[in-house]
Amino acid sequence: MPFAYYARLTRAQQAVYRKSDGITEVRLTRPAELHPLVGALDSALRTEDRLATQRATDRLIRGLTDALAIPPVNVEVLAARPHAKWGELHGLYTVERGKPPKIQLWMRTAKQKRVVAFRTYMRTLLHEVGHHVDYALLRLADSFHTEGFYKRESSLFYQLVPDARGATPATVRPIEEWATVGVPDRLARLEATPSELARLMRGQSDAALSRRPAPDAWSAKEVVCHLRDAEEHLSGWVRLILAVDDPVLVTAGTAARWAVDRQYARQHAGAAWDAFGRRRDETLALFRGLAPAQWQRSGQHDRRGRMTVDHLLSLMAWHDDNHLDQLRRALDGKP
Amino acid sequence: MATIEEYAKQPKDDRMKRLERTADELAAAIKGHGGTELAKRPDEKNWAAVEVVCHLRDVEEAFNGRFQTFLAVDDMKMLPSDVDRWAVDRQYLRCDASEAVDAFRKRRAENLEVLRKLAPEQWQRGGIHAQRGKMSFDDFLSLLCYHDDNHLDQMKRALAGKA
Repeated sequence: MPFAYYARLTRAQQAVYRKSDGITEVRLTRPAELHPLVGALDSALRTEDRLATQRATDRLIRGLTDALAIPPVNVEVLAARPHAKWGELHGLYTVERGKPPKIQLWMRTAKQKRVVAFRTYMRTLLHEVGHHVDYALLRLADSFHTEGFYKRESSLFYQLVPDARGATPATVRPIEEWATVGVPDRLARLEATPSELARLMRGQSDAALSRRPAPDAWSAKEVVCHLRDAEEHLSGWVRLILAVDDPVLVTAGTAARWAVDRQYARQHAGAAWDAFGRRRDETLALFRGLAPAQWQRSGQHDRRGRMTVDHLLSLMAWHDDNHLDQLRRALDGKP
Repeated sequence: MATIEEYAKQPKDDRMKRLERTADELAAAIKGHGGTELAKRPDEKNWAAVEVVCHLRDVEEAFNGRFQTFLAVDDMKMLPSDVDRWAVDRQYLRCDASEAVDAFRKRRAENLEVLRKLAPEQWQRGGIHAQRGKMSFDDFLSLLCYHDDNHLDQMKRALAGKA
């Protein structure tokens, strides 16, 4: 199912969207040849030196465009991210008539001026390269953010950073720690989740997805259904806070009861993932459209007390981490 | 079938009894029907019997949330729910109708318990409905009676292959 904005596109654009959505991989013939360049970029970023990072980024992107036999692209690495209307800009791909296309990447967060994490930087880099691939390799008339686009980005990421596949975070970052992270990084956490779920679920049989690691621990499928329903619930709280001054935030039932009442075990994991992705897309659009003052609007929760929109974003980032970890463990047979 | 306005004129006890009967009526209506029959839509747009039961189950849960809200704060604006989207997202057609009736029965019992415990003055507490404006517990009791009638009728029609 396409993202919600698909309905607003023209017919010609919808055709481009569908084509983009149908291509889920960009295969590199010899990805191992690029691994030293990836390692060099990781090291350069650690030095926190902009010029060193720019050079390493440029070499990696040139390596990628050469490997894919597509025209090169100019690369510019900048320091602190600028503030966009909805938050911070991570990267940008631009094409001007008569000039080579250009990728701009920001290596520091806007507020804290901290150097971004290597994987976040790589994701952004590959996201922008993905736009170049759309035009130069796939010959698409436009470069839309489709599910296929994100899958292509992921396919490149896991060819270039193979260690990341199956990596389990040693700890799930607590909500309080997420609260110290900038809005764009928390939004990036939310944005990555559908692709991460897809990667974990890909190739798994229904039996594997339905297997509970212990009688009282959810299966992978139940985790996905929970994420879908929690998305509706938590984004509903955000909408309520935006529409009503200081509302009470209630939960009808519990997550465990939803799983039983709504018969998660009978549901189709792929369809649940699809529904989650659509709702997540809407949630991200909602967050990105917020005016600065709206982030501090709040509601009252009987146990958690006052909760701002900003706090709910942290809660959602933690919630994703937590359940992605749970899903990995379920597939490994661990409760 | 009585309208909401007609139900509003009935004594509370009669309306409560109406709500108490619904789980049994649903169980009776689906008895003897196989899964295929229960999941068969009378046409493309109209729900199958199992979708109607799941809808009643989920609405009952949503009302539980609303009742909690009314008790915590009076006259708060309520946001509408997209019940058609629930049917798709929550995959009603893959659900077992009997299990859905069982879940509905539990949720209904909880809501009846909330209503039975209301003090007389609390019956006038409520919230602001997006289309209907101010609605009290008493108004919701009438609405639920009508809602039950309406969907029981819809379910019987679905099982008879009628939209």
